[in-house]
Amino acid sequence: MRTLRAAALLTYKDLVSLRRAPLVVILLACYPLLIAGLVGLVAGYANARPRVAVVDLDHIPPTTKIAGHKYHIKAAIDEVAKNVRISWMSKPAADQALRTGSIVGVITIPQGFLTDLKSVVHSPTLEFETAQGGISSRVTQQMQALVYNLNLKLQGAFIKDAIRYISLIQRGGKANFLGSSYNVLGIQKARALLLKEKGNATAIEVARFLDTAEGALRASQVSASAVAQPIKLSVETRQGRSWLFSAQMQAYALALTIAILALALAAAVTASERDENVACLLGRGLVSKLSLLLAKVALATVVSLVVGAGILLAFGAIVDIGGITGGQPWGRIPLVLGGVILFGAALGAIGTLIGALAREGRSATLGALLVALPIVLLGLVPREIVPPAGIVSDFLPFSHGQRFFGSALYDLHPWATVGPEALWLLGLLILWGAVARLVLPRLTEG
Amino acid sequence: MAEVLLSARSVSRRYGRLTALAPFDLELCSGESVALVGPNGAGKSTLLSLLAGSLRASEGQISITGAAKVGWLPQRPSHYGRLTARENLILFARLENVGDPERRTTELLERFSLPSDRASAHLSVGNRQRLSLAIALLGDPNVLLLDEPTASLDPKQRARMWQEAGRHVAEGGAVLFSSQNPEEVERHATRVIALDSGRLAFSGGPAEYVVWEREP
Repeated sequence: MRTLRAAALLTYKDLVSLRRAPLVVILLACYPLLIAGLVGLVAGYANARPRVAVVDLDHIPPTTKIAGHKYHIKAAIDEVAKNVRISWMSKPAADQALRTGSIVGVITIPQGFLTDLKSVVHSPTLEFETAQGGISSRVTQQMQALVYNLNLKLQGAFIKDAIRYISLIQRGGKANFLGSSYNVLGIQKARALLLKEKGNATAIEVARFLDTAEGALRASQVSASAVAQPIKLSVETRQGRSWLFSAQMQAYALALTIAILALALAAAVTASERDENVACLLGRGLVSKLSLLLAKVALATVVSLVVGAGILLAFGAIVDIGGITGGQPWGRIPLVLGGVILFGAALGAIGTLIGALAREGRSATLGALLVALPIVLLGLVPREIVPPAGIVSDFLPFSHGQRFFGSALYDLHPWATVGPEALWLLGLLILWGAVARLVLPRLTEG
Repeated sequence: MAEVLLSARSVSRRYGRLTALAPFDLELCSGESVALVGPNGAGKSTLLSLLAGSLRASEGQISITGAAKVGWLPQRPSHYGRLTARENLILFARLENVGDPERRTTELLERFSLPSDRASAHLSVGNRQRLSLAIALLGDPNVLLLDEPTASLDPKQRARMWQEAGRHVAEGGAVLFSSQNPEEVERHATRVIALDSGRLAFSGGPAEYVVWEREP
C-alpha cells in the first residue's frame, strides 16, 4: 500500500511538472507525429512505380503487321507496363543508368526479335537484367507480368488468325500467306463437287473423309475460341479510404507516436530525479525502488493514454467530418485504449531502464531516441523477409502494439490477435520492468 | 551523560578497487555539533551519504538509537525545480508520512521565510539551500547531516544557516557537518573529525584540531 501511495505521489509530481513545461509536451507530441507522417510518406513511396529502361536493338518500326493485324509494339509495351515506368534508352545509356541506380532494370529487345515473332516458328526472347537489391525480385515479377500482358495481346491476334484460317479451309475464299494470294476451294465446296460424282466409290470415300475433317476443324475452332477467351480478372474500383486514413496508417501513427513519446518521457523523468539531486533523498528509504519504477511507468502510461486518445479522436473527427467511407469505429476505441495502456507501460519500463543507466537527463533523452528508432524499425521489418529481426522484435513492444491497434480497430473478429498481443505486452512489461528494477540502484546511489 | 543517537561500526565503502572510505567508527550524541573536515575526495560526502542511508555500506553497520530520526542536507540543493517551495515540502512530508503535512509545511515556510508560490528553480541560491534544509527538517529529525551547507552562501545567509543548526543542537539534537572553512569549524563545532584519502586522520576538540592542522 505504501509502495502504491509513494508511486502515486511521484506520478502526480511528474504530471504537475510536465504541465508546467508545455513546450516539452508539445514537442513530445508533435515530434512522433512528424516521424509517423514521414514514415507514411516513405511507405507510400515504396508503392511508387520503379523505372525500367527498354533497349531496342531490333529497331522496331512504329507499326508492324503480325498475324494479319497491325501492331504498335512500342506503344503496346508502354501500355502493358502498368507497374513500372518505361524509359526507352540506348544500350550504353541503359547500362550506365543501371550501374548508377537511376533505373532498376533493363529490358533488351534483341536483333531478330520481330522476325522471330512474325515467323511463328521460334518464340522470340526479351532479355531482362536487374540490379541486386531488395526491390529486384519485385521488379522481376513486374517484368513477368509485362511479358504475360504482351503475350495475351499477341495471343488473341494469333488465335483469331488461326480461326480465320480454319474458317477459310471450311468455307473457302481468298487468302494471303507469306505475301502471296491464294484462292482456297474449301471443304464444303469440295464435298459438293465430289457428291456430283455419283457411283464413284473413291469420291464417296474422300467425301466421307472431308466430313470427318470438317468435324475435326469445327472442334478445333471451338477450342481455339475458348483459348482466345482466357480467364479474365474483373477489377472494380470501389470508393474506400485513402491510404492516409487507412487502418494501417492509424495503427502506425499510434504505435510510432507512443513508442517515441513513452520511451523519451520515462527516460527523461527518471534521469531528472538525478539531475535535481533528489534521487539520493528518495533512495534513503523515502521511496522504494519499486515505487520509483511504478511511478515512471504510470507517467508514461497516463501520457500515452492522453496522446493516444487525442490521435484517435483527431483521426475520427477527420474521417467523420470528411465523410470518409467506413467511418471511424468508435465502438472499438476503448479496446484500442486498453492496448495503449499496456503498450505505454511496457515502453515506460524500457524508458525507466534507459533513464537509470544514463548519467543525466539530456543523455537519457538522446539514449531513448537512439533506442526508439531501432525498436520501431525492427517492428516494421517483415518477419518473412528477415526472420532474426522478427525474433528480436518479439521482445520489444512495437510490433505487438502495432498489431494490437490495427486488429482492434478494423478486424471483424479482433480477439484472435488482440488477446495474444495483450499477453505479449504484459509479459514485456514484466520483463523490462524487472530489468529496470535491477538497474534503479544506479540512479539512487548516484 | 549525552545520549548516543547514531553510531557507525567499521563502516566502509568501496567502488571496485577504489576505497572511498576505509572502515570507520563514529558515535554521535545529543547536543553535539561535529565537523567533518578534509580535502576534496577525503570521503566526507561518502560518510554522510552512508549515515543518511542513501548509500549502502560495503561493510560495517550503522545504528540509529530508538526513535531517533536522521535529516540530511546534501551538498547540492535537492528539490524539484518546477514545484514551488510549498509543493516540494508537502510532497516530501507525505513521502515521510508526516502527520499533518499542510501544517508542518506552513510552519517551515514561515520559519525559513521561503516564498511559497514561486517555482523553486527560480529561487535564490540561499533560498534553495534553505528549502533543502527545510526538507531535511520535515520529519523533525534528531540527527542532522549537513554536507558543506554554507559553501555557496553569502555571509548573511551563512549566519542564518548556522542559527538553524545551533537551534537544532540546543533542542537536544546532533549535527554532523562537513566544511572546508576552518573559521566555521572553530566557531560551530564541539568536535572535529578529519579524513584523508578515506581514512581517519584526526579526531578531537576544535582547539586541538587547530594545533594539529598547523603541524607540518
